[in-house]
Amino acid sequence: MTLLALGIFLVAFVLIAFEPYEKSIIALLGALLMVLFGILSPEEAIAAIKFETILLLLGMMMLVHMASKSGILAWLNVRIATLTRGNPLAIFLLFSLITALFSAFLDNVTTVILIVPLTIELLKGMGKDPKIYIFSEIILSNIGGALTLIGDPPNIIIGGATGFSFLDFVQALWIPILGVIFFTLTVFLLTNRKKFESISNNLTNLHIAHILIEKIKHKFIKTNLEKDFIVKVLTVLFLTILGFFLQEVIHIPAFISAFCGAVSLAIICAKHIDIHDSFSSVEWATLFFFAGLFIMVAGVEKTGILESLSQWVVGSTRNIFYLALLVLWISGFVSMILDNIPFVTVMIPVIFSIQTELAGTNIAILWWALSLGACLGGNGTLIGASANVVSVNLARKQGISISFWEYTKFSFPITIGMLVICSVYLYFYVS
Amino acid sequence: MHHTKVELLSDLLRELEADVGTSDLCELVLYSLKEAVRSLKVKNNDEFREQFKKLALDMSQTKPKFGILNYYLHLLMYECLHIKHESHDCKKSIIQKIDAIAHQTHKNRDLILDFGERIDIENKTILIHDHSHTVHNLLKKYRTRKHHFKIIVAEQDYQKTHQNIEVLHDAKIPFQVVPDYMLSHIHNSVDMVFFGALTLKDTMDFVMDPGAYGIVSQFHTMNIPVYLFIDTTKFSLWKSEKKHEIFFHRQKRIHHTKAIEYERLKYSHDRVPAKLFYRIVTNEGIFSPEETEKLFQKKLKAYEKSGLCDCCN
Repeated sequence: MTLLALGIFLVAFVLIAFEPYEKSIIALLGALLMVLFGILSPEEAIAAIKFETILLLLGMMMLVHMASKSGILAWLNVRIATLTRGNPLAIFLLFSLITALFSAFLDNVTTVILIVPLTIELLKGMGKDPKIYIFSEIILSNIGGALTLIGDPPNIIIGGATGFSFLDFVQALWIPILGVIFFTLTVFLLTNRKKFESISNNLTNLHIAHILIEKIKHKFIKTNLEKDFIVKVLTVLFLTILGFFLQEVIHIPAFISAFCGAVSLAIICAKHIDIHDSFSSVEWATLFFFAGLFIMVAGVEKTGILESLSQWVVGSTRNIFYLALLVLWISGFVSMILDNIPFVTVMIPVIFSIQTELAGTNIAILWWALSLGACLGGNGTLIGASANVVSVNLARKQGISISFWEYTKFSFPITIGMLVICSVYLYFYVS
Repeated sequence: MHHTKVELLSDLLRELEADVGTSDLCELVLYSLKEAVRSLKVKNNDEFREQFKKLALDMSQTKPKFGILNYYLHLLMYECLHIKHESHDCKKSIIQKIDAIAHQTHKNRDLILDFGERIDIENKTILIHDHSHTVHNLLKKYRTRKHHFKIIVAEQDYQKTHQNIEVLHDAKIPFQVVPDYMLSHIHNSVDMVFFGALTLKDTMDFVMDPGAYGIVSQFHTMNIPVYLFIDTTKFSLWKSEKKHEIFFHRQKRIHHTKAIEYERLKYSHDRVPAKLFYRIVTNEGIFSPEETEKLFQKKLKAYEKSGLCDCCN
């Protein structure tokens, strides 16, 4: 039975990595086989699904979709483009930082879909190569996502399993996240100084940049912004995020806050929002992927393999800092080439077992190491995270081809640098 | 990726013109220029003049040439060259001049609408085809004046047709849509046709949206009056180098059900002889094609005499 469960999981893992079929179907098939072969009972399979995680994702997907209908996100991006006044350095810094900020609260893919096309339009129109800006936006979207409970699926899974609040994530991760943002931007600026040279002494370049900004205004804000719709959206978003921050004070879990936001926005903006459209916008495939994974991992966990793995890990060292380093770097490297969601799902029971083995030791650091490794590791290669793949496709649609090595030779050393910064942080965290 | 400035400007202006029309393009370019001048860092007026000259030169070489933009840039360059005192800030003067030009542009727009109101449209059916903002504004004005009229939209490019539909819907103007290749069936129900134009060439051809030539010829043949609305500052006051220079895009398309790939040519503009129009409504009055030609020649001579066109050389 143990071998069978492990076999199902490993085959599914490989298939998810290479995606010969939609990965949600593979996860569901794996889950189904776990039940059909009697590894899990149907009741155990249902109990294995962490509905808090699924509902948090569902609520956020609906909320973001409804909010984007108001045009406020596109408007904000265009305002930022206007603020840059066509200055390449300002475009780089403002768009990179706004990407990090957006992806801390929105899904990373949604963030790059909003920002990358606008960046390409602006820079291509100015006759500049937008690749370096796209790379920065990809990397910053993954970094920003690592900051909060809702920023990236690995954090949603960790939060769902551990009960860590939104504030717990921010409090634990803001220092390494700010550190890696500073490090990444510095590396970009130092290695591409010429590309960010000011155009303020060239009237033709300035004129082209300003015409482009006007064009972007026209292209990206097609619908007339309706003040009352925007006020309602901003109010609900603010209250939802406030709910996340005050989770421990008001005792309302994050998924309930997200649902409150989505449902209340659907009601108060009923004349602006087609609720069927919002339901259709939910990435059901992703939600089923999560459900399938939870069941598969529960099947593997039941066989005791994961407990043995954690005993082996603890047997190799009982030093919490070394264990954190092990989790950080392994999750970092795995996430560079494989989907980080199944990896994190597997690591959850492993870390819980380590907790049992090291009874009395505060192992919170291991969760933060897992979060940082899984979220930041995705930057390492072009296939490391969904935002990377989506950005490259968006670029290709606009005639800009980015190869695997072109991105990786730039991002890999930066990712290693980020993991080093996180290692230093973990050292001080333990101290 | 390595485009020259002229190529970048040409692409940008062409795309914008197709999207927003010439009048709005002009306003947008002027506004952008004002912002660009504000952001420009130069040491003195000479450096500013040099920069401005380069810009005017690049703008004058775009394909297609935008008459109205060239005219305005020449006016600005002239202003730039005639600031004698070094103490006088060139940047400030140019910004003031841009504001003055923008103000005049608005005034011209209002004048075209005032002259347009002289056309009797009561209980008439008007055919429109392009997405001229001047025509849109005139129709909206008719509506606010409580006139009764109906519009037929000749269906063309999806986006342009939808822009027309949006404007008419928002202004609560009754309308119907007829595909442009089926217009022969509605000749009897159309009383007049309204068009806008990009420019008027010295060859007495109006540069217009693609598809305009066919419709104008059709209604001209049927003796149904075709009106054209244009600001006289849009006139191309120079000798055309190539009479039939029209830009087109080669597109690859695939048959919707079969694996057949084919080449599709999409043209940017039509050139329509002025003589096919019944009247040309401008900010300076309503003219017949012959009178328009005289007005053009008069303006061309005055322009050449003013030295404006030489100030960038």
